[in-house]
Amino acid sequence: MSRRNYLIRRVIQAIFSLWVIATILFFLFRLGLPDPTAALITEGLNAEQRAAVRAQFGLEDPLWRQYLLYLWNAVQGDFGLSFANRAPVASVVWERLANTMVLMIPAIVLAYVIGVPLGAWLSWKRGTGTDTGGIALGLMFRSAPPFWTGMIVILVLGVWLSAFPTSGMRTLPYDADGFLDKIFTLDFLHHLILPALVVALFYLGSPLLIMRNTMLEVYGEDFIEMARAKGLPERRILYNHAARNALLPVVTQLAVTIGLAAGGQVAVEGVFSWPGLGREIFRAVGTSDFPLAQASFLVLAAFIITLNLLVDILYTALDPRVTFQ
Amino acid sequence: MTLPPFLRAAAKPLRLMGQDRMAMIGLAVLSLVILMALFAPLLATHDPHSVNEIEEGSVLERGEARWTLRPSLGELALNDAASDAARDLIVGRDGTIWHRPEGGDWTQPERLTEVDLHGVDISPEGRGLIVGAESTILLQNGGDWAAIDAPDPGAELRGVAWYDAQTAFMTGAGEQIWRLDAETGEITQIESPVGRGFPLNSVARDHDGTLLAVGERGLVVRIDPQDDSTELVRLPSSRDFNHIYIAESGAALVVGERGTVLRRDDPDADWESGQAPDTRAMRAGWIGDDGTAIAVGRSGIVLEWNGGDWQVAPTESERHFRAILVRGDEMLALGSDNFVDRLARPSADHWFGTDHIGRDLYSQNVYGSQIALMVGFIAAGLVVLIGTNVGLIAGYFRGRTESVLMRTVDVLYGIPTEPFALILVLLFGPSLLIIILAIALLTWRTVARLIRSQVLSLRERPFVKAARVAGASHLRIMYLHIFPNVLPLVFLELAIITGAAIIAEATLSFLGLGAPQSISWGGILHDARLSGAWRTAWWWNLPPGAFIMLTVMSVFFISRSLEVIANPRLRARE
Amino acid sequence: MTMTRMTTTSSIAFAAALVLPAAAAAQEPVPPVEIYTTTESYDPIRYEGAFIIQEAWEELGLDVTVTPMEFSTLLDRFYSEQDFDATILGWSGRVDRLDPQFFLGTLDSRQAEPGANNPGGYDNPEYDELFDAQAREFDIEARRDIVHEMQELYMPDVPVVVLFHRDEVVAYNNTAFTNMNAMAGEGLYSEWGAMEAEPVGDRTTLRIGGPQEPDNINPLNSTSVWGWKWMRLYYDRLVRLSPEVEPVDWAATDVTAEDDTTIVVTLREGMTFHDGEPVRAEDVAFTFDYYMDSSYSYFDSYLEPVDSVEVTGDHEITFNLTEPSASFATITLSQIPILPEHVWADIEDPQELSPDDIPTVGSGPFVFDRYDRGEFMSITTNPDHFQADEIAVDGVEFLIYADAEGVFTALDTGEVDMTAWRMEPGQIPLAEDNDDLTVVSVPDFGYFHFTFNLRREPFDDVAMRRALTMAMDRERMVNVLLEGRGEVGTSVIAPVNEYWHNPFLERFEFDMEAARAELEEAGYSWDEDGMLVR
Repeated sequence: MSRRNYLIRRVIQAIFSLWVIATILFFLFRLGLPDPTAALITEGLNAEQRAAVRAQFGLEDPLWRQYLLYLWNAVQGDFGLSFANRAPVASVVWERLANTMVLMIPAIVLAYVIGVPLGAWLSWKRGTGTDTGGIALGLMFRSAPPFWTGMIVILVLGVWLSAFPTSGMRTLPYDADGFLDKIFTLDFLHHLILPALVVALFYLGSPLLIMRNTMLEVYGEDFIEMARAKGLPERRILYNHAARNALLPVVTQLAVTIGLAAGGQVAVEGVFSWPGLGREIFRAVGTSDFPLAQASFLVLAAFIITLNLLVDILYTALDPRVTFQ
Repeated sequence: MTLPPFLRAAAKPLRLMGQDRMAMIGLAVLSLVILMALFAPLLATHDPHSVNEIEEGSVLERGEARWTLRPSLGELALNDAASDAARDLIVGRDGTIWHRPEGGDWTQPERLTEVDLHGVDISPEGRGLIVGAESTILLQNGGDWAAIDAPDPGAELRGVAWYDAQTAFMTGAGEQIWRLDAETGEITQIESPVGRGFPLNSVARDHDGTLLAVGERGLVVRIDPQDDSTELVRLPSSRDFNHIYIAESGAALVVGERGTVLRRDDPDADWESGQAPDTRAMRAGWIGDDGTAIAVGRSGIVLEWNGGDWQVAPTESERHFRAILVRGDEMLALGSDNFVDRLARPSADHWFGTDHIGRDLYSQNVYGSQIALMVGFIAAGLVVLIGTNVGLIAGYFRGRTESVLMRTVDVLYGIPTEPFALILVLLFGPSLLIIILAIALLTWRTVARLIRSQVLSLRERPFVKAARVAGASHLRIMYLHIFPNVLPLVFLELAIITGAAIIAEATLSFLGLGAPQSISWGGILHDARLSGAWRTAWWWNLPPGAFIMLTVMSVFFISRSLEVIANPRLRARE
Repeated sequence: MTMTRMTTTSSIAFAAALVLPAAAAAQEPVPPVEIYTTTESYDPIRYEGAFIIQEAWEELGLDVTVTPMEFSTLLDRFYSEQDFDATILGWSGRVDRLDPQFFLGTLDSRQAEPGANNPGGYDNPEYDELFDAQAREFDIEARRDIVHEMQELYMPDVPVVVLFHRDEVVAYNNTAFTNMNAMAGEGLYSEWGAMEAEPVGDRTTLRIGGPQEPDNINPLNSTSVWGWKWMRLYYDRLVRLSPEVEPVDWAATDVTAEDDTTIVVTLREGMTFHDGEPVRAEDVAFTFDYYMDSSYSYFDSYLEPVDSVEVTGDHEITFNLTEPSASFATITLSQIPILPEHVWADIEDPQELSPDDIPTVGSGPFVFDRYDRGEFMSITTNPDHFQADEIAVDGVEFLIYADAEGVFTALDTGEVDMTAWRMEPGQIPLAEDNDDLTVVSVPDFGYFHFTFNLRREPFDDVAMRRALTMAMDRERMVNVLLEGRGEVGTSVIAPVNEYWHNPFLERFEFDMEAARAELEEAGYSWDEDGMLVR
């Protein structure tokens, strides 16, 4: 199979996956979640008045019609208006996704910037106490639930030492126009440090262990033996030959981690009151805000599927051993 | 004896693991946690759900800056106090009586009765009179106490006040107003003007020689001792009144439920409803001749008035105060019926302290291990079971079967894990089963992919081909020939997923999606955060997370050793 | 015990004596019951409360399950499907509910159909009759007598148990602002708060922090109290309710009832909208017509008595009512904003306006400035308003936090001056320890209720309901769960609503002995396992 055909097939698969997920979501929500106007009862609306609201939301139409309309609109990128605030869902979702990413990407990059060299170094020190200690440390951070680490960090650095703000993305109120203006401020960085640190610590273990293990595997390969035979210094072998070859699985893992983190750390977002996408989904599902819940979930799914696709393509491009089966 | 291939395959990893120090530490820690889960009922010191309450004879003394706790008088609640120049008297639950002569120490006379005592007063001539439940009336003759028979034995008497040297009035929970002649011991029942059985909680002698009794629903009755007539008085509140105090000067204070404080500055003034800065129940009040006033009540609330507004005095106490004792400069608030031992720091009784409603945190942490391990192991088992079989089948049969199975896996890979689990639990309601399913439903995709790729290469190996030629059935080849070879990988995945599942369960519980009334480590953290107290109560925060970390870490330590077994290349040159 | 209690008990005993022989012959177990409540995360108090009830009921010999549910599911089950045995829910105390109309209506049998406010299905024709009578009674004293009678009438039947009223504990920074007065049901974030606050610090803009935000700020689409709590600051109403909840003239200078169904309102002269246009009688009439014509249903119950609105003079509007309405002047006139006709008249479909196109022109004491969803909103003081001289602040900023935790931190550090929403119990002592903060505890007249489904066994039996009510340790809920900051409930009209509350009602204090006696009298007994049978 040619590379082009392979790519086309993968893209079709991705679209298929997206459709399946969209369909499951639609029916899961419509059939499983309570009437979105239920909450209006506490505001004193009677059944008739609520029916009017339902009609306004388009929920009085037959299910199949709602489904087709939803698919048709979703294809055009129109996710409708949120039930809760009548704002276009798409803009809300993009903003929340961006909020999540400005936290997750620096955190994960930090984890990899520290984890990868550390892992390489540990592989070098294999079998020593340093190696064992390093592994234990990585596993420890991986074992501590990040929302708990977050609570402890807030308690110590935020509350006791008052060194960092403990919630939100920035000090309110502020004057800013547009998203970029909002995030390129010292105040934002100040807010970012604690949650990013917590997420970074949690993810640190992955690159560390993967790098170390891959390096160990690479050491067994012939070209390293040859380099040694040529009498190159060990340090140079480590960084120039082994590390370069060990990076591929690490990069793959990086993409997977970003995909996971995009919808991931709902609890961390909760602890730090970070207005991310995970919390938005949580809230939307809790209030039966179908358009918002569907859109956030779909965007996430699309994001993850795209990342997976990219990883596959990357793999085929970089690793000659992979064939297009 | 030769072991079947299945067991032989399993034995090898175990043997190898025995040589790995890290794995041994992991195993040891994990075993301890498992033991903790199994013997939780034995290890726990308290019922993890029960609210721990304490009763004691609390004494809170007014100091320069704040009110501070003094050593308590016994373990029974103190309900009322009275004093004259010579001595102080305190009465309390289960027949408690405390006595203190001027300048002396508190002593307890021999217990005269087991019933709860609610009121005490001392006559102008120094005679004590105590009333309580079951129509208990104790009158002092010289130094001795004598019980007086009441006409109605079932009355719960709550208030008592001397009118003169030989006449006293008592009020009760059934709207009783009784007049006692101390000489004859005779009791006269006086009709209350309402007569609906509303409790009259307290009575005091007013400056004009009448008595004022206060009770629930804003009930105030003026009793004229001359002719035993009664008259309803309207105060500017219809709250439940708990106590009335009238000073020599005629200044008076009525306190009651919901921060009710009503003040009369002098005998001719109107009753004024004070704006209390708190809404909890006030139980006792005191007003001095100089116009300062104090009111005490539930949950350690002490209000002070010095002209102007009522102020909350800092007390740092949870105790419920029911009486005030004033002698010269000494000012005591007395209590306390059962109060919740909330947010207690770690102590000998509560090793990890208590939470916001007084539940023992050590016991909760011990029980928390059960859910963590149960969810961890069952979910991991389920994941590996599904994943391994799908991987085996897909890898072995290939073709259409593989296509369908692996496309399903592809779709699953597009679903964001954590939000999906959240949605499932939100949709189907939190129960242990749903939580396990929510964790397992997506996670098996990884195992399926891993196993499949191994099977793909294994099925081409000579021993499999040989078995096929020998006519072995598909099932036999898959499970007897191929499966043992992927076993190290299966164990590895089992360990990793157990760890991940424990964290996932903790996360769900932390988000409030744990099974109701079940105790889990994540749930404890959820409570801590929900209550808002976690910023100070470190003893609430730290242990559950540490337990999760230790447990997951122990599993990961084991997994690392399994990894070396599953992938022998990692052993190179070690 | 009260008189009412005695008569009821004895009549039940009499009835029980009649049926006893037959009942003794075939004793059947009392069916198991399920209590629905909120999840712990939604409200830990109602969640734990259900388990306190369960414990005592099981001691009585009842088979009880507690099922916590997501809030929307719970509402759906309770109101729309009426598929429940017993449910714990609540009504918040909005200022317009101080008028007894709304809460009394929750026991009206005509509200018993699915989706309406009486899901328990209490049906008492005498009560319904009194309900209509009080709704039409203009004389406030006479109306109060009826309202008191209604409470006395339903109480012995206990169709619903008012579990408790929870105090709203809020706080403000006393180094930044003074003269902060709390209002029942509203806390510090009342419509007067911003008008009364006086700065004592450097900042003259009042900053409010809260975890809630408006659903939207479209006066024809907002269906949440958080939308209107904000919008009422920049829209005027004809009448405003004073902190003592008396109607005071606002945009109206006079409200006169010509007869039972004709109300004439005189509009204040010289008012202008924020865009400079004058406020005319036509704008008022337009607003009412606009609301009545729209499909926006939030105000329907307020507008129900209105038949037509006419402009009858330069500054005079006449309301013709379909029937006499006691609450028209207090509720309807105090809740409907005045919208500028010149802005809204051309908007065909106001509910479809996108957030950026929503007009924000009012005539109120504050002028809309900006709203960044999820972050903050701000308004500035309107110097041209007739009330402007009384207002000490330059404006109000509302900062939106993700949760109560964020709000508290902001309050603690001086970032905001007051909380819009109650603090969590664990935060109260922390706030009390901070000298800059003043903690205010405001009694609520909203309530948490336990509603029996009167259509189902065993709750169709009044003796059973009475006994089970006595077996609810509500005192304990208040003391342990609310830390004493609340009040055990009596009637649906709360004690803090002193004018309408009837203090002389049967109380159903926690008493297991009395509960058992009540059951025994009604012909129940216990089998060898201690389970209730009849």
